[in-house]
Amino acid sequence: MTLLRRTLLALGLPVLLVAVWWWASAGSTDFYRPALSTILAAFADTWTWDRVRADVLPSLARLAAGYLLALTGGVALGVLIGGNRHVRAFLEPLLEFLRAIPPPVLVPVFILLSGVGDRTKVLVIAFGCVWPILLNTVEGVRGRDEVLSDTCRTYRIGGGLRLWHLLLRSASPRIVTGARQALAIALIVMVISEMIAADNGLGFAVLQFQRGFQIPAMWSGVLLLGLIGVLLAWGFRWAERRMLGWYYGQRAGRREW
Amino acid sequence: MLEVDHLNKVYDSHGRRVEAIGDLTFTVPEGQFACVVGPSGCGKTTLLRTLAGLLPPTSGEVQVLRRRVTEPPAGLAVVFQEYGRSLFPWLRVRDNVELPLRAQRIAKARRRELADEALAAVGLAGTGSAYPWQLSGGMQQRVAIARAIAYQPRVLLMDEPFAAVDAQTRADLEDLIRSVWQRLGVTLLFVTHDIDEAVYLGQRVVILSAAPTRVADDLDIDLPADRDQLTTRADPRFTELRSRVYAQIQKVKADPPGKEG
Ligand SMILES: Nc1ncnc2c1ncn2[C@@H]1O[C@H](COP(=O)(O)OP(=O)(O)O)[C@@H](O)[C@H]1O
Ligand SMILES: [Mg+2]
Repeated sequence: MTLLRRTLLALGLPVLLVAVWWWASAGSTDFYRPALSTILAAFADTWTWDRVRADVLPSLARLAAGYLLALTGGVALGVLIGGNRHVRAFLEPLLEFLRAIPPPVLVPVFILLSGVGDRTKVLVIAFGCVWPILLNTVEGVRGRDEVLSDTCRTYRIGGGLRLWHLLLRSASPRIVTGARQALAIALIVMVISEMIAADNGLGFAVLQFQRGFQIPAMWSGVLLLGLIGVLLAWGFRWAERRMLGWYYGQRAGRREW
Repeated sequence: MLEVDHLNKVYDSHGRRVEAIGDLTFTVPEGQFACVVGPSGCGKTTLLRTLAGLLPPTSGEVQVLRRRVTEPPAGLAVVFQEYGRSLFPWLRVRDNVELPLRAQRIAKARRRELADEALAAVGLAGTGSAYPWQLSGGMQQRVAIARAIAYQPRVLLMDEPFAAVDAQTRADLEDLIRSVWQRLGVTLLFVTHDIDEAVYLGQRVVILSAAPTRVADDLDIDLPADRDQLTTRADPRFTELRSRVYAQIQKVKADPPGKEG
């Protein structure tokens, strides 16, 4: 497929939907459902640089901190659990329980334990999105090829080399899958935590607009969140292609045969 | 130097008990090229994994370089039957060859030198920067061999390394292994189920019985050291030896040793 065709295909539906929205909402007098043109005008007025600094950047910083915490913690714990049968048997029931708790429920609990500051939000984001990373890492490490494991043993490849070249690289396709799911969850938990307890941030701003009947501004906040989600997904895909080049190459080769 | 002393191996998993090796005793002196043949499922891979320290014996013991094997011994390299899966798909060919050397903390320049030499020896001089999955099966097998050569082992174990490659590649690889063995002076245990291959390659052929496995016969291969796919295989002595091995294996199959106990 040519690049042009791919771009047209990818952009076709969004462009169509926006066009339909624009046309259907044009001249709307409904207070809660303003015209798209009104929302876009509000977008430009609302998301000024001051606003970005006051609300968007703090949100993104908390998102990044919580996500990175989940990524490092989830992978580290996952390697530990996936690499050792006994650790796995010992920890699995506890993890099953913790995983079943819906993350928003923890916001009030974490507020009690560590206050209403950024730390609480970062922890809630990390706790909410760590599970797919952790579970996928465990499965990825467990599923490593036993011939590769034997190769490491006979050539006496241990320590850091084994950790990196056997455990982590074997698990990396699964880790990436988990990390992608976690990113979407992190964004959701970020917004929710800001709606429950915050004095700035995107979730807080959207809620404030709604309470203050600034309806076009509220819609523009929703739009902005959607855009951030899309940009993050694109960035993720770019990083994934770079890290898993060997994986896609190998799979493409298998299909050819 | 390899010593197998009354080795017995029983797999006992999921309620299924398999006596893979009955009672095996033989010695491979320093620097010898020994081939092990036997019917499929007679425990050849099991024997090799025990020698490599990947599998504990049920009873008896094995020694490598005069030390009892309890873990993978230093100075021993293995070329696995599933050679394709033994290469790291996320590492380029050169890095695959160098990884065991990195684990030994060999300096970078020396690593490069050893890897280049080894890749050249197996005829893969230009492919260092390819990924294993970009190569054909025969080439992947040669990468696995290059990795073993670069490691400079004193003992090399090979498990049916050529079972899955085409006939021409196979002949090339056989000659390659002969020359590697002559150059490195390693002790080489080569497992195969191909009688011709065993006679062509080895200085000696150890024939295993079907399970419960023991040594059925042990033959000196007194062919000249300089071997050649055409002349050696046409040599009357070659034909005679391969007939003896063949007859021995037929006997093993027709007359399996009675299960004791
Ligand atoms: N991990 C295992 N668990 C149970 N049985 C096994 C295992 N590995 C091999 N066996 C059995 O042991 C016997 C010998 O296997 P193997 O050593 O692979 O033979 P060969 O390499 O000569 O074909 C076979 O019957 C096989 O099914
Ligand atoms: Mg086998």
